Amino acid sequence: MKFSVNWVGEFVELPSDNEALADLLTLAGVEIEGIENHGANFEHVVVAQINSSTQHPNADRLSVCQVDDGSGTLRQIVCGAKNYQVGEKVPLALPGAVLPNDFKIKASKLRGVESQGMLCSAKELALSEESAGLLILSSEAKIGAPIAEVFPHDTILDVEITPNRSDLLSHFGLAREIAALTGKPLRPPGIAEPATSEGDSVRISAPNECPFYSIQRLENVTVGASPDWLRAKLDAVGLRSVNNVVDVTNFVMLELGQPLHAFDADKLAGGITVRLAQPNEKFLALDGRTYPLDPKNLLIADTQRGLAIGGVMGGEESGVSATTRNVLLESAYFLPSSIRRTARELSLPSDASYRFERGVDPGMILRASARAVQLLGEIAGATVVGATIVAGELPAPPVGFALRYARCDALLGVTVPAAAVDRILEGFGLEKLGGTTEQSTWKIPSHRSDLRREVDLIEEVVRVYGIGRIPGSTRSCFSAVSAADRVYDFEAKLRQRLVARGFCEARTSALVGRDSLGNGFAAEAVELRNPLSEDHVALRPSLLPGLLGAFTRNVRAGAKSIRLFEIGRAFLPPDAAENRRLVLLLSGSAPGGANWRAGRARPLDLYDLKGALDALGLGPLRWERAENANFALAAGIYSETTLLGLGGQLSSAHAGGPAPVLVAELTLPNELESAPRIRRFQELQRFPASTRDIALLAPAALTHAEILASLTNGEEPLLAEVQLFDLFNGADSANLDDGRKSLAYSLTYQDKNRTLIHDEVNAAHDRIRQRLQRDLKVELRE
Amino acid sequence: MLAMTHPLEELRDAALAEISSAPNEAALDAARVRFLGKSGTISAWSEQMKTLAKEERPVVGKLLNQVRGAVTAALEAVGEKVRAAQETGALASLDISLPGTPNELGALHPLTQMLDRSIALFRRMGFALAAGPDVEDEWHCFDALNTAPDHPARNEADTFYLPDGRLLRTHTSTVQIRTMESAAPPIRVIAPGAAFRRDEVDATHSAQFHQIEGLYVDRGVSVADLKGTLEYFLRELFGPDTAVRFRPHYFPFTEPSFEIDVKSKALKSGEKWIEVCGCGMVHPAVFEEVNRARGDTAYDPEDWTGFAFGLGMDRLAMILFDIPDIRLFAQNDLRFLRQFVS
Repeated sequence: MKFSVNWVGEFVELPSDNEALADLLTLAGVEIEGIENHGANFEHVVVAQINSSTQHPNADRLSVCQVDDGSGTLRQIVCGAKNYQVGEKVPLALPGAVLPNDFKIKASKLRGVESQGMLCSAKELALSEESAGLLILSSEAKIGAPIAEVFPHDTILDVEITPNRSDLLSHFGLAREIAALTGKPLRPPGIAEPATSEGDSVRISAPNECPFYSIQRLENVTVGASPDWLRAKLDAVGLRSVNNVVDVTNFVMLELGQPLHAFDADKLAGGITVRLAQPNEKFLALDGRTYPLDPKNLLIADTQRGLAIGGVMGGEESGVSATTRNVLLESAYFLPSSIRRTARELSLPSDASYRFERGVDPGMILRASARAVQLLGEIAGATVVGATIVAGELPAPPVGFALRYARCDALLGVTVPAAAVDRILEGFGLEKLGGTTEQSTWKIPSHRSDLRREVDLIEEVVRVYGIGRIPGSTRSCFSAVSAADRVYDFEAKLRQRLVARGFCEARTSALVGRDSLGNGFAAEAVELRNPLSEDHVALRPSLLPGLLGAFTRNVRAGAKSIRLFEIGRAFLPPDAAENRRLVLLLSGSAPGGANWRAGRARPLDLYDLKGALDALGLGPLRWERAENANFALAAGIYSETTLLGLGGQLSSAHAGGPAPVLVAELTLPNELESAPRIRRFQELQRFPASTRDIALLAPAALTHAEILASLTNGEEPLLAEVQLFDLFNGADSANLDDGRKSLAYSLTYQDKNRTLIHDEVNAAHDRIRQRLQRDLKVELRE
Repeated sequence: MLAMTHPLEELRDAALAEISSAPNEAALDAARVRFLGKSGTISAWSEQMKTLAKEERPVVGKLLNQVRGAVTAALEAVGEKVRAAQETGALASLDISLPGTPNELGALHPLTQMLDRSIALFRRMGFALAAGPDVEDEWHCFDALNTAPDHPARNEADTFYLPDGRLLRTHTSTVQIRTMESAAPPIRVIAPGAAFRRDEVDATHSAQFHQIEGLYVDRGVSVADLKGTLEYFLRELFGPDTAVRFRPHYFPFTEPSFEIDVKSKALKSGEKWIEVCGCGMVHPAVFEEVNRARGDTAYDPEDWTGFAFGLGMDRLAMILFDIPDIRLFAQNDLRFLRQFVS
């Protein structure tokens, strides 16, 4: 909300400079989001009246004016604007004036005609950003008066009011807070509660939504323009002037926080009923639009139709117009939740609903009405007819409660003397009902319904006492390692291992678009009921589509080698069960690209993906071919018999590019959440190992796994390790026909209790060679 | 005889001279064969021993051993020198300005780095980690956190809902409730995680963002403890000269509530206060609601007090790493990610 500092200053003495005021409020929890200057504070700029205007002899677009600047002699000014009438008053910058952008005004000749100053537009005085022609002043403006009297300098504060502090949504409310914070006396506007009576002309049939309603009749109202002082006040805080009656209701809302509404009394048929709308009841609002209502919406109605959506917006047909003579002035209390719902349903937020939905001060309802009556009498000639008619009951004042001084000290971690606590609370208008040295009981003023229990009072104490005065303490307590700790540490380890192998970590959104659902990876997903954009319609059932999106973006950006991973949650249909996943993506050239050690760039392939997964430390992983329409080559990835996920090479239709795209998505094991696995020491081998090689020619279809199974079938206890160290096929060598491949294995023999002798190693090796030949029909090479 | 030089000594001198001037290992090997080889000239003396007079034998034998030792030592010493010279000679021509064998380091996402740094700091202070689901029910997200049934935050305009009525948590404060439901006090946890709000995406807003929630419940926890904890964290993060200020604020689930601003010359924002955290003392109504759900009085607000805080990781990372646009985090452009190799 915007506040005029001048206006607030009418009710309390303010700190001398605005920065100090802003700091005072900000550090008390009333955050100042902006400070701006308002008004025209220029020397040598005065109000002048245009007495005559004639055509410039040498320039079609210019006029020569004689203006009265109040000095007794007329001044001649050359002027380019056309938007004035002779007799109107405008701002005149005299020689010596300095306008914004360091524009210095001097007496000069324009096209041969003397000009002793400049008539100004609103823009030239920095009163608005745009303007067309001269700024025409009110006829009330005094000739010769400094322009600052018409547009007094002011500072406008943009204040963020937290939703619990509806009492601050007015200039008087903010002044009351400042008085409490500084201890300066508050100067409330002198308004007495009006005389009230109950009468048949107001009836409430929805007492829950509208507990209290009041109407004051005013007659002989002259609707017209508002006086300068009122227009200036509204203008300062960004409100447009409408007419004197509407302006007064807005003024009182800004001053005291109570929204008011004025009806044209002559347009009403019978008395007022406050009721809920009928099903499908239509209402024509003053914005010219018709709103469909339902029985949750509160309606102010006469015997024939709705007059206003209670607390939200008035009606087109019952409002005050230029011809209005008699006015009914409404001041009421509406149920905050009802107003909030209606304003939101109808998308009709207003200054009034903003205050009603946060709760207005029950103690201000009738006084605000009286304040408006007083002003309408002064500026619109209104005469009061009868007492204020009221219906219903004002909401009960907040219930008082106790504060224990020791509890206050304990929660704040500092000792605040009881007397200081009392002084602070009394500063906020709380009344001490009694107490001891240990505790006190407090009556809460009607405008502070946010104070409901002891801890709320402690907050008031710390706001004024100052949290800066509380010394920070560094108390701690020991805590056990949790399941979440273990998961975090495990994932951190995976991340570090992948980063060490050159992978970059991606973090894609848990919300995915429909286009990525359609691509086959995630046909089924839990969709949001209220998505905001097409990019975020469902919870990702897989991390692959998101990572593929990152891949595509990087290809477009020209990346030549892409190795990405992500660790995050997937949400599985039908109930969005959460599942921690690791996904890897590789494409493009191997690390380093073309370089002097490796020669030409080698494209990343399936074995790079396998190697990356092997290095994660998840134990031995087994790949088994699987079917998946999105993959050119798909495999299930197993740890022992558990399927962890799917990996392989995407079909080029999904990859969207010529280079192979290798991906794997694994579900991270759950057992991490239990106690960590402890490795046990195993004795080091003390006796040397012997190695022998086997080179063989095998049919192309024979797999490494089949050869390995034959090599390590358990019949040779001395065989400790097998390593494939060479592989080529017909494409690599002219000496090999297409149906065959050449492999070479290095076999290591070792015994943990003794050094092996040549003969027994050779014998074991020969048995293995014979077995290969016999079982696999491979041809051994020497 | 004594004055005369023994032929063995002459032989030794000749051998040492040849060895010391040997230009390479081949010349050394030749010398070894010539003097100490099976039919070498020094070895020949061993054969001659038996032809010597009985009294001469020990004298010559001793001399022979000395000569053989001296020549062997010289062969070894000069061999070592020659080999070293050969090695450095070969390596002298190596171009050490050539690039090393390529071996790229990857990079952690800057948000992960921010989370890791933050978690490490809180672990120093004795916080354990806690976790909760992204898909939550309204009770954990709002009711249990003292948020009124008609509070605007619950609106479909601000919160993502699933068709079954559950929602995507709008803050990690849900983990406060989940932790207290499952464990009795004292509690000292942080919960890193994602949260979701139905915001239009722009340079500072994203539908998904990342927070670290903190909760400490114990006997006698006070605003002073809250202050000390977060001041330590922020000064460790932004530097010891960082100015930290607490501003009263409003959250339904804490009372009193604060926002924290920091100011540090090390940051681009310089002399400007920037908001980095929301926090406060756990509202007694939250304890009361947890007790209702637990069906006990484990969290009696008369016995236990606590503080809670929420730190925006995206925002902190943007401040710390000087990242201008939150959308960069979700784009995962390698040119962006690689800037944060650490």
